[in-house]
Amino acid sequence: MDLSPRLARAATRRVSVLIVEVPGWEFIRCAVQQELRTRGWREATSPADADALAVCGRSGADLGRCIALVWQQLPGPRAQTHVTVPTAVGAALDQVLADLLDDDRQRADADDGDMDDGDMDDGGMDMPMPGGIPLAGEGPDRDGLDLDELHVPLGPILPAWPAGLVLQCTLQGDLVTAAQAHVLAGEPPPSGVGLVHGSPADRLDRAARLLMVAGWEEAATAAARTRDRLLFSGGPDEVRPEVERLAGRVRRSRMLRWSFADVPGVRDRLLGWLQEARDALAGKPTPVAGTSLDSLGELVVGRELGAARLLVAAADVDVAGLVRSGADLS
Amino acid sequence: MTGVREVSAGWVPVAAALLLALAAAGASLDGALAARAVGRPWASGAGVPWVETARLLRQRGRTTLAADRLLWRIGCAGLVVAALLMVAVVPLGTWTVSDLAVGVVWFNAMDVTVWALVWLAGWGSNSAYGLVGSYRFLGQALSHELPLMFALTAPAVAAGSLRLGDVVAAQRGLWFVVWMPVAFLVFCAAVLAFSVWGPFDAAVSRAIGGGALTEASGMDRLLFLTGRWALLTAGAAFGAAAFLGGGNGPLLPGWLWQLVKTGALLAGFVLLRRRLPTVRPDRLPTAAWLGALPLVLLQVLVVSVVVVVRS
Repeated sequence: MDLSPRLARAATRRVSVLIVEVPGWEFIRCAVQQELRTRGWREATSPADADALAVCGRSGADLGRCIALVWQQLPGPRAQTHVTVPTAVGAALDQVLADLLDDDRQRADADDGDMDDGDMDDGGMDMPMPGGIPLAGEGPDRDGLDLDELHVPLGPILPAWPAGLVLQCTLQGDLVTAAQAHVLAGEPPPSGVGLVHGSPADRLDRAARLLMVAGWEEAATAAARTRDRLLFSGGPDEVRPEVERLAGRVRRSRMLRWSFADVPGVRDRLLGWLQEARDALAGKPTPVAGTSLDSLGELVVGRELGAARLLVAAADVDVAGLVRSGADLS
Repeated sequence: MTGVREVSAGWVPVAAALLLALAAAGASLDGALAARAVGRPWASGAGVPWVETARLLRQRGRTTLAADRLLWRIGCAGLVVAALLMVAVVPLGTWTVSDLAVGVVWFNAMDVTVWALVWLAGWGSNSAYGLVGSYRFLGQALSHELPLMFALTAPAVAAGSLRLGDVVAAQRGLWFVVWMPVAFLVFCAAVLAFSVWGPFDAAVSRAIGGGALTEASGMDRLLFLTGRWALLTAGAAFGAAAFLGGGNGPLLPGWLWQLVKTGALLAGFVLLRRRLPTVRPDRLPTAAWLGALPLVLLQVLVVSVVVVVRS
C-alpha cells in the first residue's frame, strides 16, 4: 500500500491560504474568502502557516516585492495564484489544489528553494550582526530610560489588515513609540472589483476585520458570511435580520465591553458600522466621515501593539479610495 | 486508604494514548463547531485533527534567519511532555500512573514549565511577532499563576492531603465543586490560560500573525498545537478529579466516570472559546489581582474554617 498519495489527499482537504489583497480589489478578496468557506479551507495567519498564496488584484512593483518575499517564506508544499476576475476564483483554487498534489512540481520547488538561503555574511563590520541582521538600537523610553528599539513594519501582508497599508513602527518591547503610514498601491483597479466606501458590504467587511482582530472568530465569520451573502446572493431584506442579530450579539457582549474599555472608540465604531449597515440596507442615507491616512501614525503612538492593531482596524481609512483618486500615498 | 494503586510502567503508553485520544476528540468537536459556523455540515469539520496532522506531517519544516533551533524545538515539543506529566498523577478509577504524595504540587509545577516552553517557542524563532506573543504569555502567566495556586490549595486543604487519590476519595459524599465553586471557576480559567486557549489566547493571536506560532511550520507547529490540546485535556482531567469527584458516581465504573467528566469539562472549554472574544492582556492583571485572587483566598479561608469545624 502506498501511503504517500493518501497522506497528500488528506493533507489537502483543508488548505491554508494566505490572502494578499491589492488596495481597491476588495470584491475579489471577498469572493476568495467565500470560496474558502465553501470548500472548508481556511485562511492562514502567517506565511509559515500557509500552503498557498492567493493574490487578489494586480499589484504594483513595491507590493510585488513584498509578495515575492512572503512567497519565499512559505514552507512548502506550496502553490500560488493570482486572481483578478471574480468568476475565476473557483478555477484558481482548483489549480492551487492540483499544484499542491503534484509531487514532481513540489519536489522541483523544494530543490530550488534550498539554494537561495539568504546571505549570511556580516560584512566584516564592527557592529555584531547575527545572521546579517543589525542589532536593535537604543532610545529613551517613556520613563526616560534607555531601552532597545526595533523597527518593525506592520503590514502590508498581515491577517485582518487594511490592504496595502504599511505602518512603519518603532517598537520598544510591544509599545509603539513612533509610526508612519503609507500605502503600497497596485495598478488602478478596474470598476466593479472594489467595495464602495460606506456601503453596507463595506461596513460589514470592516466589522468582520475588527472582530477578527478582537479574537472573536465566530462573530467575525458571521459578519463575513453576511457580507458575502449581500455581495453574491441575497437581497438587502434577506440580510437585514442577520445584521440585526449580529449587532445585538456584539452589543450584549460584556467581555467585549470590558476588554475594550481602555481603547476608547473601538467598540463604538464597531457598533456604529453595524448600525450604518442596517440603516443603509433599510434605505436610510448614511454619511461617511472617514479617517485620513496621516492620522493613523498619531493614533497608535504610545499604544501597545494589540491596542494599536485594534485602533487601526477601527479607523475608517478608505485606502482604495485614495488609490483610485491617485493621491500621494507615501 | 484511597483505593488507588499504581499501574506498572508498561501502561504509560496507554495513558499517553488515552490523553491524545481525548485531545483529538476535543479538536474534532472544535472542528465540527467551526464547520457549522461557516455553514457546512458538522461532520465535514469533525476530521480536522486528522486532516491538520496529515497537512503538517507533509509540510516541510522551515527556519528563520539566526533562529535558535534547539530552544525553539524544545519550546514547541515540550508542551506535549508537560501535559503527559500532568496526567501521570490523575487517577483513572482505581488506577494511576504515579500515586505521588505531592500530586497537586506536581500538577502546579508542570504548568509552570509551560511558561518557559511557550516563551522559548516564540523567542527561539527570532521573530518580532513571536517575541511579542511569548512575552504576552509571560505577562498573562503573572496573572493566572497565583490564583491557580490558591485554587489548587482549596481541594488539598479539604482532603487534608496533596495526594490526588486522597482528594478524589474525600469527595465520596459531596463533590468539591459544590462547596468551592469559586476555586473551581478560577481553576478552569487558569487551565484555559496555561493552554493558550481562548479567551486567553492573546499570545497566539491572529492579529500578530499567530504570535508565538508565527514562524512555526511542519513538525514544530504540529507538536505545539498537539501540546496545546493535550494541556487543555490534562487540565480537564485534573479538574474532573480535583473538583468533580473523579471516579465517584453511581452505576458506571470509576474509570468511566473519570473519562466522562473529563470529556464534559473539555467540551465546555471548547464551547466557551467560540462565545468569547480574546481578553486583552492589558486588562487581565486588574481582574486577576483585584478580582480572582482575593475571591479565591476567601474561598480557601471558608474551606479551612469548614475543615477545622468539622474535625
